[in-house]
Amino acid sequence: MSGAWKIILLGAVMAILGLFALGLDNDPRNIPSPLVNRPASDFTAPALHGGPPVQLSALRGKWVLVNFWGSWCVSCVAEHPYLVELAKKVKNRPDFVMIGVDFRDTPEAARDFLARHGNPGYPHAMDPEQKIAIDWGVYGAPESYLVDPNGTIRMKHTGPLFPGWFEARALPLMEGGKKP
Amino acid sequence: MWIEIAHFATLLALFLSLVLFGAPLAGMHWKNMAWVRVARQAAFWICGLLTLASAGLIVSFMTHDFSVKYVAEHASLKLPTFYLATAMWGGHEGSLLLWAWFLSLFVAIAAWRHWETHPVSMPWVLSILGSLQVGFLLLVVFLSSPFVRLLDPPLDGRDLNPLLQDPGMVFHPPFLYMGYVGFAIPYAFAMAALITAQGDGEWILATRRWTLFSWIMLTIGIVFGAYWAYYELGWGGYWAWDPVENASFMPWLTGVAFLHSVMVQERRRMFKTWNLFLIITTFALSLLGTFLVRSGVLSSVHAFATDPGRGVYILMFMTVLLLFSFGLLTTKSDQLQGATQLESPWSREFSFLVNNLFLVAGACTVLLGTLYPLAVETLSSAKVSVGAPYYNKVFIPIMLGMLLLMGIGPCIPWRAASLQYLRREFLVPAIIGLAGLPAAWMVGITHPFGLAALALILFVGTTHLRDLTGNVRQRMNRESISPQVALMRLVGRNQRRYGGMLVHFGILVMVAGFVGSGLFQEERNLLLSPGDSLRLGDWNLTLESMGQTARRNWQAEEAVIRAERPGETVLLKPQKRVYNEHSQPTTEAAIHTTWREDLYVVLGEPVKAGVWAFRVYRNPLIAWIWFGSGIVTIGVLLAMLQGRRARRLAT
Repeated sequence: MSGAWKIILLGAVMAILGLFALGLDNDPRNIPSPLVNRPASDFTAPALHGGPPVQLSALRGKWVLVNFWGSWCVSCVAEHPYLVELAKKVKNRPDFVMIGVDFRDTPEAARDFLARHGNPGYPHAMDPEQKIAIDWGVYGAPESYLVDPNGTIRMKHTGPLFPGWFEARALPLMEGGKKP
Repeated sequence: MWIEIAHFATLLALFLSLVLFGAPLAGMHWKNMAWVRVARQAAFWICGLLTLASAGLIVSFMTHDFSVKYVAEHASLKLPTFYLATAMWGGHEGSLLLWAWFLSLFVAIAAWRHWETHPVSMPWVLSILGSLQVGFLLLVVFLSSPFVRLLDPPLDGRDLNPLLQDPGMVFHPPFLYMGYVGFAIPYAFAMAALITAQGDGEWILATRRWTLFSWIMLTIGIVFGAYWAYYELGWGGYWAWDPVENASFMPWLTGVAFLHSVMVQERRRMFKTWNLFLIITTFALSLLGTFLVRSGVLSSVHAFATDPGRGVYILMFMTVLLLFSFGLLTTKSDQLQGATQLESPWSREFSFLVNNLFLVAGACTVLLGTLYPLAVETLSSAKVSVGAPYYNKVFIPIMLGMLLLMGIGPCIPWRAASLQYLRREFLVPAIIGLAGLPAAWMVGITHPFGLAALALILFVGTTHLRDLTGNVRQRMNRESISPQVALMRLVGRNQRRYGGMLVHFGILVMVAGFVGSGLFQEERNLLLSPGDSLRLGDWNLTLESMGQTARRNWQAEEAVIRAERPGETVLLKPQKRVYNEHSQPTTEAAIHTTWREDLYVVLGEPVKAGVWAFRVYRNPLIAWIWFGSGIVTIGVLLAMLQGRRARRLAT
């Protein structure tokens, strides 16, 4: 084997190993949504707890956190305490509201879920046939989208929102208006 | 109780693996063979202990011991007995134990069979295999133990993933692992030959059956996986170029290259360094497959257990192994000089050389396609996926080149062929192959790859058949016997050659299946209510009724579809199953298989009351893929019958 071949062989092996070492930090679930920085698809759907239907475009002018969930989803249970806490914290902010989209679910099961784990108090749109979820490219639960005052999706979060998410991820975007 | 026995047996096996690794080194250092004999006994004990450990885990499943975390997560009371027994490899932890058990079994067989014949290299072989065994058992014991007890055992388990409750999935992993692990033996012999400077080729003869065995296990494993994907995942295809599929395919390709190039070393004493490189690469790629599945660096349908701790460990393990192997190869390879030079490009050794270049290039394109998304994601955090279009453009042409060589290699002589010989052997097949082009065009093949594939199938098939009939006729005339007897004697005298030709023939059948299903698949997506019908090919399909059905641990919505064509009526019953413990429904495609085509019906979601979505496929020639792989298996088994040829090496 000539010297050049040796270097190529060992170099290739090192490069592949290095790539794996760097790649270990990747989270395969974290898939960027092509809908980020696109206008959010509007929806009007019956509210889980009755009252007027939930309409996204009626919330123009505010930042909207759209949280997709279902009573069948185990990770949503883990996420729920933070949603309750966040809803309490942002209740008095004029520029930020939250809505939930309860998809592939029955109203009874969903109400039961909220009764059991605490009701954060914001409205939930019912989406039993996953029409909204499909429009938004949701493929699992929970998934959350942050929509800006112009109705553009600015961020997608796959999996449960973590404690401190609002300060760490949402606020910089809302204050800076910069792309993340 | 059983799980504690299993746990203890595994710990003991880990300890003995350290002995297996260290004792031969001590024996060589102090020049005392007693140490090496200790290592050999350790190999047998490890095998026995890991057999006990695996049995203990299986018994825990059979007895529904849900206080064992692994059992609680992968079984339930309702799980049928067959899947209960095989749920051992339904998850990450048990799969690794299975891996370790196969390794211990193969090491024990190697220590038993090669002890007398390989006194010089045996200490190194045992030590290298011992280090692998240590590596895997450390992972099993410390990072992914299947023996963990739950303090608060549930009454019922979480059940096995419904997609795995399928015969195809039951057999896919063990065969694949046997293939992966089996390459460890030729790898260890190759490394030992390199260390002891006996790279002259004896190791190749010694491990020929191991290599064939590993390769055919890998082949069967891959085909089982493809077949499972075909009828269980319900998307009408069988291969998606998913990273983990690729990971099993790469060692397969380099394994094919190795199987061919060792013949050149055996006959002509060439390619010595190259063969060492190929076997190291093949085994390294086998480990890479494990790494990709188990660490979660790549997103894939298979990446179920993401655990960075395990990922870091497997990466460290691979780093040590790769740097040791390739480092040794680069430092020691200079002492290996080819005894002969290529004499002519019109020779078998040259055709094998090109064959090897094509196969390695093919493996590289698959590797690039697999790693590219990882590289992009790591370096720029964007997500890309490399799919069928890339592989179709890059990989298929390389494999068409391979197909051409497959017709030439076995029928061209070693050293150099004369022009007359080439004309006599290949003119008729080439004409037949070219004559296939207009015929293919008339059948409706317009895609250049399809045309090329068909011409090449005819060319290769003709060269092989002519070779066979020529030799049969010669033997008939010489010994005045009937063609059947002549064929039997011919094959009996040289199982390697005719086993190999049978493998080639099986590959041709598979290629026909790839072309037919790849180019002529017809797909319909449509909504049907009971009473509606559609036409597909010459089939007339009618949705007769919709109903419910249930078994022990699932319920399903089932459609009854009557498929008719002149002279044939069949009932197809596609289902959408919901397994009790899992909300995710699984599709059970209904498939009607004939040699000409598969009719493949998938039941989708109900769209509104009384209307269901259906997907209906016509997959021409797809059964040829499964049938062809059966021929390949028989061919390899035939080739394995023939033992070593020490005589040849002596000359």
